[in-house]
Amino acid sequence: MRVEMFTFLLAGLICLGGALGVVLFRNTVHNALSLVATLFGVAVLFIAQEAYFLAAVQVIVYAGAIVILFLFVIMLLGVDRADQMGVDPIVGQRTAAVVFGVAILGLSLVALLSGPEVVTGTPATTAALSSDIPDVNQIGEALFTDYVFAFEITAVLLTIAVVGAVVLARRSDGPVIDEDEFDGTALDALALEEPSDVGDPDQDTADGADPGSGADETDPDDLEEASR
Amino acid sequence: MIIQVPPTVPVVPEQLDPSAVPLAVPEIVWSAVAPALVLMIGGILLLTVVSLVRKPLPSWFHATWTVATATAAICATVPLWQRVQDNGASSEMAGTVGLDGFSLFVTGVICVSVILAALLLEGYLRREDLVGPEWYVLMLLSASGGVVMASANDLIVLFLGLEILSVAVYVLAAMHSRRTSSQEAGLKYFVLGAFSSAFLLYGIALTYGATGSTNLAGIQTFLADNVLVDNGLLLAGLAFMLVGFGFKVAAVPFHMWAPDVYQGAPTPVSAYMAAGVKAAGFAGLLRVFVTTFGPTYREEWMPMVAALAVLSLVVGSVMAIIQTNVKRMLAYSSISHAGFILLGVAAASDAGTSAALFYLLVYTFMVAGSFGVVTLIGRKGDGRHSLEDYRGLSRARPGLALVFTVFLLAQSGIPLTGGFLAKFYVIGAIVDEGLYALAAVAMLTAVISAFLYLRVIVAMYFAGPAGAEEGSEEPAEFAGPPVRIPAAAGLALGLALVGTLALGIVPGPATEVTRDATAELTVGN
Amino acid sequence: MTAVIPVMILLPFLGALVIGLTPARRAEVFRPIAVLASGGTAAVAAYVLTQFESGEAGYQFVVDRTWIADLGISMHFGIDGISLFLVLMTAGIFPIAILGAKPHHDPKPYYAWLLILQAGSIGVFCALDLVMFFVFFEIVLVPMYFLIGMWGHGRRTYAATKFFLYTMAGSALMLVGIFALALLQSNATGDPLTFDIVTITDNLAVSTTAGRWIFVALAIAFAVKVPLFPLHTWLPDAHTEAPTAGSVILAAVMLKLGTYGFLRLGIEMLPEASVWAAPVLMTLGVIGLTYGAIAATMQKDLKRLVAYSSVAHLGFIILGMFSLTTQGIEGGVLIMVNHGITTGALFLLVGMIYERRHTRLISELSGLQKVAPVMAAVFTTVMLASVGLPGLNGFPGEFLALLGAFSGARWWGVVAVTGVILAALYLLWAYQRTFHGPLTAENASMKDMTGSEFAVMVPLLALIVFLGIYPTPLLERMEPSVEAVIVHVEESVPGFISPDPGLERRAVGDHGDGAEEGEG
Repeated sequence: MRVEMFTFLLAGLICLGGALGVVLFRNTVHNALSLVATLFGVAVLFIAQEAYFLAAVQVIVYAGAIVILFLFVIMLLGVDRADQMGVDPIVGQRTAAVVFGVAILGLSLVALLSGPEVVTGTPATTAALSSDIPDVNQIGEALFTDYVFAFEITAVLLTIAVVGAVVLARRSDGPVIDEDEFDGTALDALALEEPSDVGDPDQDTADGADPGSGADETDPDDLEEASR
Repeated sequence: MIIQVPPTVPVVPEQLDPSAVPLAVPEIVWSAVAPALVLMIGGILLLTVVSLVRKPLPSWFHATWTVATATAAICATVPLWQRVQDNGASSEMAGTVGLDGFSLFVTGVICVSVILAALLLEGYLRREDLVGPEWYVLMLLSASGGVVMASANDLIVLFLGLEILSVAVYVLAAMHSRRTSSQEAGLKYFVLGAFSSAFLLYGIALTYGATGSTNLAGIQTFLADNVLVDNGLLLAGLAFMLVGFGFKVAAVPFHMWAPDVYQGAPTPVSAYMAAGVKAAGFAGLLRVFVTTFGPTYREEWMPMVAALAVLSLVVGSVMAIIQTNVKRMLAYSSISHAGFILLGVAAASDAGTSAALFYLLVYTFMVAGSFGVVTLIGRKGDGRHSLEDYRGLSRARPGLALVFTVFLLAQSGIPLTGGFLAKFYVIGAIVDEGLYALAAVAMLTAVISAFLYLRVIVAMYFAGPAGAEEGSEEPAEFAGPPVRIPAAAGLALGLALVGTLALGIVPGPATEVTRDATAELTVGN
Repeated sequence: MTAVIPVMILLPFLGALVIGLTPARRAEVFRPIAVLASGGTAAVAAYVLTQFESGEAGYQFVVDRTWIADLGISMHFGIDGISLFLVLMTAGIFPIAILGAKPHHDPKPYYAWLLILQAGSIGVFCALDLVMFFVFFEIVLVPMYFLIGMWGHGRRTYAATKFFLYTMAGSALMLVGIFALALLQSNATGDPLTFDIVTITDNLAVSTTAGRWIFVALAIAFAVKVPLFPLHTWLPDAHTEAPTAGSVILAAVMLKLGTYGFLRLGIEMLPEASVWAAPVLMTLGVIGLTYGAIAATMQKDLKRLVAYSSVAHLGFIILGMFSLTTQGIEGGVLIMVNHGITTGALFLLVGMIYERRHTRLISELSGLQKVAPVMAAVFTTVMLASVGLPGLNGFPGEFLALLGAFSGARWWGVVAVTGVILAALYLLWAYQRTFHGPLTAENASMKDMTGSEFAVMVPLLALIVFLGIYPTPLLERMEPSVEAVIVHVEESVPGFISPDPGLERRAVGDHGDGAEEGEG
């Protein structure tokens, strides 16, 4: 198995595992942390593609800023549900954490240290990024030439995200009026009592994501929505 | 995997020292994106104005602003349309924005849907004790996304347009804060919408991998010049993109969200979703599949689209007739209408595209009008949507019942309404391609769905009082509080009625426009 | 002069508009407006009759305006000898139906829908463009649907929905057929797309197979509307549950849309396919007329009995037309007109009985003759006309149709004659049970016809007698057009010689089962 294949498979596994964790864990903190794993996995994939800048942005902005903000919010709202820190909810949790941590580190190192020749085995269909020019410049240039319009209209998306977050976070000013249309389970499933101050951190989040992430700007919104 | 690596694709210039040469920043032609800009600026200005003013502005102000903005956007398309007709299509902003008749026409359709929905929203918000210019802001911004999507000449821009469009609608669907079903709808729409966006994005990535470009004109040229030895990647990309678009236009089997969301969302928002969002989704579908992959890959995607169309037609109409909630009925009927429009896509011809566009225009009026009536009948609480709630409407509100009848008959394709000609054009386009069986299926499902519209008419006109023996001449009593028709909603219904009938009686001007509204991919400057 | 057709279509429509704009509380004005608008239309139709050049085969009063340019759809209307009397009948029967029965509630929409129905029906008979034909063919569904659904009896919702869906399902395929025809025609000739019936008829260029498929698509639509066995099941329900005026219009006008379509778009436009399908259609016609007659015999409900008699009569029309002879087609058109008059009158009479007795069950009616002698007399006349008694208007049409059938397809004709006998059976029997016999207590208090009711029946009775004795004015006006149709069929279908004994050759010739010969 070639190195890039190995890297891809492992990083992909981490991504998927993290994503599953986001959905499956019952503890919100664990959800947020699983998200970090996914984001890291993506960062590794970026590195494997020689997109170092993107990888860095991925780690700094997403993992570093956004998820940390999520964690802040979660912590501030209080993780009141009984968390028995002494007992591992999952057997071998700590061991697994160590293994995965080391794996990610190792993968990053492998990806970083192995040259472009090793990482890119067969030529891609598209032209490879030229290594003569730093990828930051390349991204910048792409953003301000070919994708300038896409880059600009991202602003609208972010505005919508902010407005939407504020609107949805506002506490409803009256009783629920359509309880009779439900059989009850749906009501339980939906957390109606939304915390009123979620809006602000979300707003910051959306703004914080602005500078770095160029074209694929949907994730902040997805995350915002998913987080509640 | 492919024979030739395209030489033109890399974006990297030859120079080694990037600081030495100034960036070749493309010319920014603001006028080319004028309609989208008008909508964006209108939305953001509205937000700014209402945040700066101390006293809350009257609710009519928001609606008027929105209608004015959308009207301005329509006006902005006129000189551009003239330009396209005179000088041909062009693409601006480094070839990412296509300026052609197609995009301008869809822009118009989306703006019309915004106008109608905003007019409905005005009375709705007052009735439901909801406040907020945010509804209108989100709607305007969402429409700008739809416009961007319609004029996208680049898959990335297309995707961004789709997200702008969708994210705002996710929020709008959930904005009736006191209705749990609204929140449920928003959540459902969001989760499935994000899911479908991921599919679309994946498809875009695979297509990029196979063709080396996200630019539609680039892809078209590449495929015209090169023959892919192994096109698995591209086919997978096409399939994923089709799934993504299928979700957006609510085609079976990607329709699961539509009934719940249409039913739960605030009714004017449902109107906007059925009209505007669908139009934008189809614009993307047409541009990517018919225009970009039409010349080279028609044989591959056409059966897929045709299958989606037939499934949508059959499932949409059959499921619709067993519903008892009128909003849900309309949702299923909108699925079957999507099937009809998909047939226009499947024809993969200019006639098919024109037919689909005409259908979208007519459908905007029909469905916005239908949901408009449903908005009013829902009354305070937006909860009276059962078929029972329409019993005896013809006596309580004869005008409203008649207008609803016109919309319903138009949807079933009765002549002298736009609905008939819309179906007529689609049938013509697919018969022209020799797809007789598809045409027959489409018409027969139209009969099935006619049953559903008749059920509503029966409830409004023929039904006796609840529990009475059938055939008694005792008229049914209209239950519940009286139906109030706010002026703005009345205007919206009037506009929709005029649109539905005018397009059926004097379709000439509209068909001339749809005929000229062809999509062309031009390589940017 | 040239604008008579648009006037005939728009006048009732304007009447409907005026009614629609009048406030509902002014209930007394709707009936006069409706009578005025439909009567005005009838007057225009009468004027058309006086201006009609008899002896001309082609279309007269032609109007041709582009509707949708890019598809070659035009508002092309015209009247020839075949459609002339159908238009006249349509224009004339509406005022009678409006005068002959009153709605029990909601007069405003009732009259508005009736007038829209009149506009649409006249449109079908005048349309010379496939799309216009389809438009009017479809649009008449809506008013009839509302008439049955809102003012009908018993299971009116069921009947209305069934009627709407059946007819719409039929015409669904028709639209595909129309489009296929126009496109294939345009591809074959290289001409721009056109839906013009005259142009396509004169120069049909689609292949035999395609032509047959298109014929099937159209024939299903018409067969539902006619209705031909086995697609007739909507008709008894619709007829029975409809209000009196609705039944009258349904029988007199709406059913003729199907037979007219068979003639205009079937035999005339797609001759080869018609020759090919003629044996099947004649068989269905014969089955329909015997089945209708047998079913009518067994009905307990007087209105349902009349409804089944319609099935039988319409079977006659199909048999006559698809014998592909001059007599057969003339007979068919004559029955179309006369069935409109007699069955319309029968439904009016049944409606009058129902208004008085609130029942239509034959078993509950008895001895009416004693209390309502005038009505009995009128009923007798109309009933005998429907049976086909010589001297009344039912006879010439049936005779000609049978004559055509005998010269074209003898055995079909033989079976059809039994239908005539059965018609005498069920109608006379029904008359006997209803009007004769002992007068029961419930029936004793029934009132006879009022003067105004009789006045409504007078024009119908006059026509029944006049057209029975002297049908020549009709025949001489339709003959050139009908002969042109037969000649056109002969020219278009190689090897087909109409078994018509009279055509051109004027010599009695027996070509055996000509329709089958033409199959090759």
